[in-house]
Amino acid sequence: MSSTRTIRTDYLARVEGEGGMLVRMRGDEVVDVRLRIYEPPRFFEAFLRGRQFTEAPDITARICGICPVAYQMSSCLAMESLAGVEVDGQLHALRRLLYCGEWIESHTLHVFMLHAPDFLGVPSAVELAKLDPALVETALRLKKIGNEVMRVVGGREVHPINVRVGGWYKTPSRADLEALVPDLEWAKQASQEAVRVTAGLDFPELEQDYEFVALDAGGEYPIDRGARLVTSRGLDFPISEFYDHVVEEHVEHSNALHARLRERGAYLVGPLARYALHRELLSPDALASAGEVGLEPVVRNPFRSIVVRAVELVHACDEALRLIAEYEEPPAPSIEVVPKAGLGHGASEAPRGALYHRYRLDDEGTILDAKIVPPTSQNLKMIEEDLDAFVRGHAGLDEDELRHRCEQAIRNYDPCISCATHFLTLDVERE
Amino acid sequence: MTTCVVGVGNALRGDDAAGLEVARLLDGTLPEGVRVVECEGEPVAILSAWEGCDRAYLVDATSSGREAGTVRRLSAHDGPLPPELQRASTHLLGVAEAVELARALGRLPERTIVYGIEGGSFDTGAPLSEEVRAAAAEVAASIRHELSERS
Repeated sequence: MSSTRTIRTDYLARVEGEGGMLVRMRGDEVVDVRLRIYEPPRFFEAFLRGRQFTEAPDITARICGICPVAYQMSSCLAMESLAGVEVDGQLHALRRLLYCGEWIESHTLHVFMLHAPDFLGVPSAVELAKLDPALVETALRLKKIGNEVMRVVGGREVHPINVRVGGWYKTPSRADLEALVPDLEWAKQASQEAVRVTAGLDFPELEQDYEFVALDAGGEYPIDRGARLVTSRGLDFPISEFYDHVVEEHVEHSNALHARLRERGAYLVGPLARYALHRELLSPDALASAGEVGLEPVVRNPFRSIVVRAVELVHACDEALRLIAEYEEPPAPSIEVVPKAGLGHGASEAPRGALYHRYRLDDEGTILDAKIVPPTSQNLKMIEEDLDAFVRGHAGLDEDELRHRCEQAIRNYDPCISCATHFLTLDVERE
Repeated sequence: MTTCVVGVGNALRGDDAAGLEVARLLDGTLPEGVRVVECEGEPVAILSAWEGCDRAYLVDATSSGREAGTVRRLSAHDGPLPPELQRASTHLLGVAEAVELARALGRLPERTIVYGIEGGSFDTGAPLSEEVRAAAAEVAASIRHELSERS
């Protein structure tokens, strides 16, 4: 009889939130793979009930300190679509600019501080700073520039306070935004260099046959909005049909729900999906960066997501610069949104992937019911499938190396466990 | 000499706000040119706060099991800071990591003093405990005294 071995990490480092990993093997055969999410549930959906529709952006922003803008945008869009209004023109441009700030900040944190140490054989960003101080200096400055965009547009670096349903409380002046330009130009060059550096890393072998899922935002690379979801295997549906196509289910080892496409299974959201589905919408220089390092049009090795994130960094800098160049101060900071009873849907592309919100309101704008589906919970099932496939292909590695590579495989997704566990279905049975 | 005082903490978590309380007590009472900064402990914010300074005071709450209100004064140049100044999080870095990051990057002010104030309760929404309030006043007085002696 072949022996059983267990690869286990109780506390995953360099991920946002509390999670662990368990891989059980019999000989070289994988018996069980579990990404254990034990961060306590956070009940956001429940305590949104009874609140006013105008409060959703500020309440849901608190789900995450890394991607608060994603929550603000998805919730605003849901309320506005239900009311039948569209925030467009410069008010929309500012939203996209704020979101670019979040992408710069979040992708920088992940690429340099959380993920790069895996490839460079160091346990943390502090050790990385000893090994390659210039790289960490670049990361700190890039992150600071992302923060600064968020501060100028959103009023604060973390959990911005300037976002409201219908637009903004106060819009920045042209001069406020133009002051960001020199830093963003530097950030773009640093991002282009990041593409070169990350493309030169050593990537473990793993090719996965993903069904990629991302928002379709018409003629723009999806960031701050998108009315439809599209997949690499031909699904294309309005976000209002989200639950016709996606099933969320509770699994015993996780306080975060797992999502799958109905009758299809696990799917992938995030940079790899956006890149595979909308590559041609990247800015010319982001596309050139990808081309320069020979990045294939569809990347199926999840370890190479670090390169795609760097390409998206270039794009976010380019977009921010374009939006600032075209900015004209809008006549009013917001448009009126009169609440309507019914079901509203909103979605945007958080740095980690599509973030879907659904709210049921009464005719006074009170929230009766809320559903929030963050990218990490959509990816959890796929992460487990990656781990399964990786371990099968690398069963010969020694214990420590296998554990390290499995942890790295999880970090490929930049998982935000705190986001994913904001809910828990609590069923009480009474006789 | 350019000096900065950085109070670190979360205003919504009881005694975790100890560092913020010290910053508030000192704000506007120090010699001209001394910067007082409140922050949540994010390393980039700490490194930015003391950029260009040759002297820095960093004040944070600790959770080491000592009696609430216990004050410890450490020099960051004596070696890595003790574990109670490391943040209990898998993702965010804390004061100790910020100091180590700065050390690795050569961005640690020439003289960096860390004050730790032991917290009793870190409950959400709780006010500062009496012990920690008193300790914060004591630390603020010490820093004021150190600055008057050396500036």
